[in-house]
Amino acid sequence: MDRGLVTLIGMSIAYVASFAGLAFAYWGWKKHLRPDREEETP
Amino acid sequence: MVTFTGLDWFWAAAFLLLMVGGAFLFYRLARRSESDFFLAGRGLPWWLPASSVFSTHTATDTPMWVTGVIYAHGLRGLWYTFFTAWTAIGSFVSARIFRRSLAYTQAEWQVMRFGGLGAELLRGWMAGWQVFMNMFILGWVGIAMGKVGYLVFGWPVWVGLVIPSAITAIYTLAAGYWGVVMGDFLQGIVAIFAIVLVTVVGLWAVGGPGEVSARLVDMGEAWRLDVFAFTGLFSGDFPAAWWLTMLVIAVIGGFGMGTSIDWYVEAQRIQSAKTVRDASYGLWAGGALTLVRNGFWAAVILAFFVLAPNITNVAEYELGWFRMGFELLPVGMVGVFMGAILAIHLSTISSHLNLGALYFTRDLYQRYLNPKASERTLVWMGRAATFVLLLGSFFYGLMMEEITAWLIFALWLMMAGIWLPNILQVVWWRFNAWGYLASWMANLGVSWLVVWIFPAFGVIPPLPDYGQFWLLMALGAAVFLPATLLTQPEKMDHLVHYYVQTRPLGWWGPVQREAERRGLIAPQTKPEQVGRRPLIRRTWTPEEAEGWSREDWMAIILSPVVYALIIIGVARLLLGQLDGALITLGAIGGAFLLYWVIDPKLRAVSVEYETKQARYLEELERSVRWDESALDAGAEG
Repeated sequence: MDRGLVTLIGMSIAYVASFAGLAFAYWGWKKHLRPDREEETP
Repeated sequence: MVTFTGLDWFWAAAFLLLMVGGAFLFYRLARRSESDFFLAGRGLPWWLPASSVFSTHTATDTPMWVTGVIYAHGLRGLWYTFFTAWTAIGSFVSARIFRRSLAYTQAEWQVMRFGGLGAELLRGWMAGWQVFMNMFILGWVGIAMGKVGYLVFGWPVWVGLVIPSAITAIYTLAAGYWGVVMGDFLQGIVAIFAIVLVTVVGLWAVGGPGEVSARLVDMGEAWRLDVFAFTGLFSGDFPAAWWLTMLVIAVIGGFGMGTSIDWYVEAQRIQSAKTVRDASYGLWAGGALTLVRNGFWAAVILAFFVLAPNITNVAEYELGWFRMGFELLPVGMVGVFMGAILAIHLSTISSHLNLGALYFTRDLYQRYLNPKASERTLVWMGRAATFVLLLGSFFYGLMMEEITAWLIFALWLMMAGIWLPNILQVVWWRFNAWGYLASWMANLGVSWLVVWIFPAFGVIPPLPDYGQFWLLMALGAAVFLPATLLTQPEKMDHLVHYYVQTRPLGWWGPVQREAERRGLIAPQTKPEQVGRRPLIRRTWTPEEAEGWSREDWMAIILSPVVYALIIIGVARLLLGQLDGALITLGAIGGAFLLYWVIDPKLRAVSVEYETKQARYLEELERSVRWDESALDAGAEG
């Protein structure tokens, strides 16, 4: 397989995992968000 | 293929049984709590994290890589292996700060240093990245063992990938980090024995240490004995610019967290140490031992070069250390050597299994899925995550021959693009979660542009590694600095709490003054109020030791110098060079001076911090369960 394509696939999988973690974090934060914490967003 | 006698099989099996059995014995301790399963209860003396740092950094593929750079570059190749020197400053700066945070992982540290949604997103992002990276590293190291199994026994590659990792998983599942760290201690002893043995046998195969050097001179290869054999300022395959860049990445990186891929592994060792002082010494000694190891390897690999100087195939000469062991050791000792190879393999596999499981359990499962989970549930989740990581590593290991190229690319880019933000998050109060998150995101796109796309379309010429590093840093800064300055600083309450707990080094003036105003820390004494003080102060009250002083800066400067003397001195000493003996003596003297300067302060810092640790741990556990009043309470005193 082409080296560039392999790199693209590999990096894509790694970032998919990271974005999944990020999505988990957003979901968790929304779930536990209290109204007084909204000011913390930029 | 290597011929194994009955005696060789006996020794290999005996070492395996010792290492696995010794680690398994600690399963009763591991099942007590999440803290035991992942941090050995935070109670280890410095020498156990130190041996774990060394063992984890000595993987099956490490001797291949070190052999590759020394065979190609001679002793100047040692600078490639000097990346370990981030622990020189790291031991006295980032380790001290991180240990005081008590965060289980680097992901958890993000929500202590930063606040709000940005910090939470960083935690999730980093946890996902680390779970995946640990799985990949397991596959990478596993496939290296598969290749060794093929070389030695002619086994199919999958056998070496699956069987040793499965054996490692048995004690890692049962005994968690207790098993990892106790196994690392035993495995470290076996590995050091084999490394010294192969070096001695290899040097004598050529005719002794002096003979290796003499033969290199005769061959017209004397430059291989020179650690500073640059090919120019910017030209050739080892320019001074590249050397300087590697030095900056490693040494200055010690001020930050995550500046080396090894940071994430060592963060776990730092937290498992029983005091701040033990954390510092554990990291420093582990790094120093790793550099001594590199010196031993360099000497024997130059002996290998003398014996076999004309190998041009990288894959072939990378196996030089293994060949020296299997071809030169006598019957019986070959089995010991195989036991040592298993030792270095098991230690790395167990560490990454437990570390990947830690990120999943603490930062994803407990934080987002089941914050109220009991200790028993968390231990079992840790075991389940370990098992899943093991299966994943088999899958990726079998793909790895294709994948290695991108993995190296990923590791390099992660180091280059976020190196500076990793330091700024530690030393600059104004750097915020959005800036740090922006640096990760920017790196995602910019790295592709610099390394692949721009050169392919002729926008820029293909850059050498050092050129890529500095350009990626500059382009990243063009994104994360505006992102930081155009968004709000972290809330002062949050920063004050973090500052009082960790007492970070760097530009923290506004936060420090606010903490003083609230009466949470003693006001900093001005030099004119102190009067004369000794050049090196050796008596500290706990409160005085909390700040950063001249003694810390002396350690920060002296420590990398000692590390450099160690790696150069050991290698040249083993090659029979007189200056090697003098440099090694200088390294030993420097290490004692370093200890004399910094130890009184580290003792005082540890005493002071231990009086507060129980309260901070309670806050940490409340925080992971989303009880944020823990932080508010801390900021108010």
